[in-house]
Order: sequence, then C-alpha cells, then structure tokens
Amino acid sequence: MKRKSYIVSVIFILCIGLILMGCPKKTVVKDEPSAKAEAAKIEAERVAKEKEREVKEKEAKEREAARLKEEQAKREFERSLVAKRTPGIEGEVFESSLLKPIHFDFDKYDIRPGDVEILKANSALLKKFHNVKIQIEGHCDERGTNEYNLALGERRSNSTKKYLISLGITADRVSTISYGEEKPMDPGHNEEAWAKNRRAHFLITAK
Amino acid sequence: MVKYFIYILILFSFFIPSVEARVYLDINAPTFVQIPIVLPKWKSVEKTPPALTAKLYEVLVNDLTLSGFFKVIDHSLLPFYLKEKEGIPSMLSIQEWASSGGEILLAGEATLDGDGLNLRLKFHLVDLVEQKHLTGKQFDGQLQNFRNMVHRIADETILHLTGEKGIHNTKIAYVIRQGESREISVADFDGANVRPITQNQSINLSPIWTPDGQKIAFTSYLKRNPDLYLIDLNGRNLQRFSSHPGLNVSPSWSPDGKQIALMMGMEGKSDIYLLDANGGNPRRLTGGHGNESTPRWSPDGQQIVFSSDRSGSPQIYIMSWDGSNVRRLTYEGNYNTSPSWSPKWDRIAFCGRAGGQFHIFTIGADGSGLKKLTPNGSNNEGPCWSPDGRYIAFSSTRAGGSRIFIMNANGFNQRPLTTSKGGESSPAWSKRFE
Repeated sequence: MKRKSYIVSVIFILCIGLILMGCPKKTVVKDEPSAKAEAAKIEAERVAKEKEREVKEKEAKEREAARLKEEQAKREFERSLVAKRTPGIEGEVFESSLLKPIHFDFDKYDIRPGDVEILKANSALLKKFHNVKIQIEGHCDERGTNEYNLALGERRSNSTKKYLISLGITADRVSTISYGEEKPMDPGHNEEAWAKNRRAHFLITAK
Repeated sequence: MVKYFIYILILFSFFIPSVEARVYLDINAPTFVQIPIVLPKWKSVEKTPPALTAKLYEVLVNDLTLSGFFKVIDHSLLPFYLKEKEGIPSMLSIQEWASSGGEILLAGEATLDGDGLNLRLKFHLVDLVEQKHLTGKQFDGQLQNFRNMVHRIADETILHLTGEKGIHNTKIAYVIRQGESREISVADFDGANVRPITQNQSINLSPIWTPDGQKIAFTSYLKRNPDLYLIDLNGRNLQRFSSHPGLNVSPSWSPDGKQIALMMGMEGKSDIYLLDANGGNPRRLTGGHGNESTPRWSPDGQQIVFSSDRSGSPQIYIMSWDGSNVRRLTYEGNYNTSPSWSPKWDRIAFCGRAGGQFHIFTIGADGSGLKKLTPNGSNNEGPCWSPDGRYIAFSSTRAGGSRIFIMNANGFNQRPLTTSKGGESSPAWSKRFE
C-alpha cells in the first residue's frame, strides 16, 4: 500500500514535472509581450497624433471662429459708423453707436462712477481696432456764460481723454475739442435736456 | 469798413459858450431823477419832406429815451419851433414853453437840399427853468447818414447836461443762433442797422472789437478747432489770427494795443495767455490747476480781471498784467464768471448765480459794493460796458429766447436791443464812431 502511494506520488510529481516542463515551452515565444507593447505604443502615438490633430483642428476652428467673430465685429463696427459732415466745419468724421457718450454733473468735469464701464467698453473697442483715432467733444448745458462753458468743455474732453489713457490708450490716438454750450443734444430748456447736454461725445477721425 | 461820412460841425458864430456850472444830472449817483425834456415837433425847412423830418424826430426821441437820462415830453400842441432873434431863440419864445412841464427844451429843424442828397440839421438846447440858451449847433451830412447825424445831436445834448458825450454813435456786436450755426451780427446802439458780419454757417462765437473799431475778433470752428479770427465790418478779409490746438477764445486788447490777453487750452485746460499784437509769442500767465476764462484788461493797463475755478467754484480774480499778485475778488455765491472792467471807473461787471438763476452784478475793484442789477425771473449773462462806462449790455431770457439787453450802469432802464425773437448772446460794445 505504501508503495502504491509512492507510485501515485511519483506520477503526481511527474505530472507536476510535466506541467512544469510545459513552462519552458512557453518561454520559447519569449518576444511576444514586447511586440505587443510596441503595438500599443504605435497605437498610443496614433491616438496622440489623432488627438493633436483634433486639438489643432479645434484650435484652427477656434481661430477661424475668432477670425469670423473679429470680422463680424469689424463689420458690426463698420456698420455702426455714420459719416458726418458739418456745414462750416472742415472735414469728414464718423460717429459710432458702439462708442457711447458719458455725462457730467452741472459745472463738473470728473468722470462719474457709473460711466466707468462705458469708458472701459470704449477703450476695449479702441484696443480692438488699432487704426481708429478719436476726437472727444466736451459739451455743456446752456446755463452759465458761453466763454466759461467753453473752458468747462475743454476740461470735460480732457478728463475723458486722461481716463482713456489710464486704460491703456495712447495719447496720440485721442484729440479733444470743446464746443461749450453751442452744440446741444437736446434743445430743451429743462433739467432733462441739460442732463443730456452735459456730455463727452466720441467722434472717429480715422478708422 | 464803410467810409464814414464827414460832417461839418459849425458852431454858431454868435453862440457864446455857456460856463454853466449847474449839474443837471449826476449819472454816477446810485439813483437819479430823469430830466424832463420837451421836444417840440421839428420844422421842415423849404421843400424838406415832412415825413423825413418826422423820422428824424422819432430817432431823436428814441435816442433820448434809450439814454435813460430823460423823461421825454412829446409836445406836439405847442408851436413847433422857436422864434429866433439874431440867431438865438428869443427869451420871449422860451417863455411860451414854460408851462410844458419840461426843464430842458430841445428844438430842431431839417433842411434837405434841392438834389435831395444833403441834409442840414440845426438844433437848440434851452434851460427852461433858468430861461437860458445852452447851445445851438448845425450839422451837415449826407441824407443816407441821417441816423448818425441825429445821434450826434443826442450825444451833444447829453454832453451838455451830464458832462460827457453820449454813445449813440456806437455799435454792438453779438452772436446770433441760426439753426445749428452761430453767426456774428452788428447793430447800432439803438438796435437799427442790424447786419450780419459772418455768414459761413460755422460756429462763430465771442466777438470783441479791435481797438481801432475797424475789425471784429471772434472764435470760429471753421478748421475744426476753436481758432481766433479777425474780420472787417463788411464781412471781408477773414484772417486766422491764433490757431493753437484747443481754445483760442475771448481776446482782450491792452489799452495801448500792444498785447492781447486770451483764453487758450494748450495745457488740456483753459489758461490766460498774453500774445503780441500780431497774435504770436503766447506766454502763459496763469498756472496751477484752475480753469481760467474771460480775461479783461483794466483801463489803466496794469491789471487783468478773469474768472477761475481754482478755489473749486468759478470766482472772479484780478492779477497784475504779468500774472503776479493774483487776488480773489468775489466771495458771494458759487458761480461767478464773465467779468468786464468798466472803462471809466474801478468797477467790474460779471455774471453770477443767485437763487438758481444767472444775474448781472457789479462790484468795486477793491471787492466792495456788490450790487445785483437784473431782476429775478430770468437768466442774464455776458455783461460788457459801453465806452463811456454808463451802460452795460448783456443777454437775457426774460422775453422768451435769449436776447441782447442794454441798461444803465445802475441797473435802470433795461430794454432789448433789437426786436429779434431770440438766440442772441455775447454782446461786445464798440468804441465811438465819429
């Protein structure tokens, strides 16, 4: 009986041996895993390239979109321009609805906090269109003497110019002119009209 | 400008100048009683058309009324002319007028010559209270200049009764709005002969007479900058005089004519500069942060009055002509602008804000005697003095739109210059044309 179990053990060990023998058989195809890695690498590269291409495409698309947006903005800007000739005043200038005016308190020339956003938008527009040059007109309401109002309008146009310069606009792109009380926006003789008339108005002198 | 007529003044050879010491009217007093003056209808000599004589009479009555010094008694019922004895009105004749209520009598006659071109005016001024002949003169001139000849009679009358000639032969330049444009116009002192000086559709502002009275300086936007121009009274010879970037506004010639004070905006704000008489060599007189406007020389040429907001609100200041010795003149109110120095006295007119409205004030050059001259109820701006310092022209909204008004320097006798509907501003008074 002991012998029989010995035989079984041997067979078992042999079997184990045979099984174990089988392993070296596998190491015959020892290169197989590195090839696979190679393939994976190629695949990864392909994916990466694909991704890169996609990114580039996306970027190009974005650039194109930006370009289109810019073109659209430019078209929009150009569409907003209205040529303006004034009898008795030399030269052709343009007005743009995108350059909004700002307003002042009576006998004051400091920029009102509520108008800062308008000046930021106007300076952003100037930064977008580098060739544009502007003239800031300083205006007053009809109250007070004409000569004093010419001086006040000078202040208003220049304080507006200074603010644009503080926002990064170069001085050579901005000229100023005071019209005092002589070019009212609203011909009325009441506070509503006066409030509209105390303004800095933006004109485009080169586009 | 149109060549002025030359008229001959002939003092009657028989006239003995009166060394009358009587002060009929102290017009420099704060208040005065108007002199009652009788004006009988004028006599038309020979074939002089009565319609012409009536017109002359009308211009004279208007002149004397506008002067503010007279209460004119238009006495058509009394005999229209004085009986003369040896060239002067007979005292007997004068007695006929004693009941008229007038203290002074001004009588006259007109003679138009045969060809209807030349006019001769003769007048007599008589003191009815003292029963005394004061003066009698005769003027010869062209018919077309009849208004100036009548103004001359009014001026002589005022000379006799107040010690200084009137200003009936002066003109006033001003701005008139025409739609979007502003043009310069000129009118005679009595509002007659309104005529345009500029007609360029631009914005033309702030007229000032040159010292010789032959040109008007003004600011125009013709070249898209407020440049200073000169123009002849006939609207010709437009000349760009000062064109620095920014303001070139409201010039004032020194009394000797050698320098010009001007508002200029070369520093991004308005300052007072001095220019040479040719418009060159600008020198800045005011520094600091103030916004300065409307420089006006003192009559002695030593000082300049101007407006500045250096204290936070616009006030009137005086400085020496070289920019030194700046002193503040006004302390009342928070909006005092547009000063103008009287050519005769140390008094300054300006525009001040009171009760939410703008009014004409005067103040002594030493800061004393502040006086509000215009009545409440409207805005009044831009005062300027007549060459004799007896009147102030200004603009007022009291009759609707803004119109030029004239008043005596004490605020009396305020009346509109013209019959326009409005849109007038910035009056400037000429020197006397004679």
